[in-house]
Amino acid sequence: MPETTTPITVPDEEQDEQTRSKEDLDRGYLVICWNDPVNLMDYVSHVFQVVFGWARAKAEKHMLEVHNAGKSLLVRETFEKAEHYVHQLHGYGLQATMEREE
Amino acid sequence: MRFDPAPTATAPQVLRFQISKLEKALLLATVQIFPVLDPSYHRLTKDPKNAVPAEQCLLEEAMARQTAEHKARLTEFLRADAPVFQEAGDELYLNLSGEQLEWLLQVLNDIRVGSWVQLGSPDTDTVRRGGLTPEEARAVAAMDMSAYFQSGLLEAFK
Repeated sequence: MPETTTPITVPDEEQDEQTRSKEDLDRGYLVICWNDPVNLMDYVSHVFQVVFGWARAKAEKHMLEVHNAGKSLLVRETFEKAEHYVHQLHGYGLQATMEREE
Repeated sequence: MRFDPAPTATAPQVLRFQISKLEKALLLATVQIFPVLDPSYHRLTKDPKNAVPAEQCLLEEAMARQTAEHKARLTEFLRADAPVFQEAGDELYLNLSGEQLEWLLQVLNDIRVGSWVQLGSPDTDTVRRGGLTPEEARAVAAMDMSAYFQSGLLEAFK
C-alpha cells in the first residue's frame, strides 16, 4: 500500500499551554508506525499490545489505521521515551519513526 | 501447527502447540537462515532534516545487538533434542514460555521482512511465483514459511 501524504495531526489538548508540566511540554516527539505490505495484521496488533500494553481493541484500531491510512500516530512522548518505543518497534520489524511535532 | 489451549498441570505458564514432524523440520529449516534483515533497514525518522546520524547509528547498533542475542538463543533452539520439543505418544508438541514465543515471533519476522527486502520489497499480492532464480525462490519460500508459523504462534493470543 503506498504511503500517504496526509499531514500528521495530534488530538486536541484541553490543557492550557501555561498549565502544562515541563514533561508535557517535552513530549514533543511523535511515534508513528508506517504501513508496509509484509507485516501480518495480527502480528502488528500483537506488537502494539506488547510494546505499549494496550488492550486488543486499541491495538487493532491503530493497526487498521496503519493499514488503511498508511500510518498511525501511536504516542506523543519525550525524546527518550519516543526513541525507546521506536527501538522496540524496530526490534519487532515494524517501520516506526519518531518525528518532532511541528 | 495448532495451539493447544489446555494448560498442562505441571507448567500452566507454558504455551503448547501441536506440531507435526514435517512442520518441525520446516520450522527448523526456516529459522536456520536467521538473520536476514540488515540493521541498516531500520530508520529512526522519515524526515531528512530531523535525521541525526548519531541517533540513527544508535538504532542500528541496538538492532545489531538484538540480532546477535537472538542468534545465540537460536543455537540452543536448533539442537535436535531441544527441550522445547516434546514427544508424547504419537503427538509432537512445541512448548514455549511467553518470552520464548516473543523471541520466536521476532526471529520469524526478521526472516519474513528480510526476505521481502531481498525480493525488492514488492507488494505481497504480486510476488512472482514463477521464473525465479534459486535465491528468489528461497526468499519466497522463507517469506511464506515464516508467515505460516507466525500465524500459528499468534493463535495463542486469540
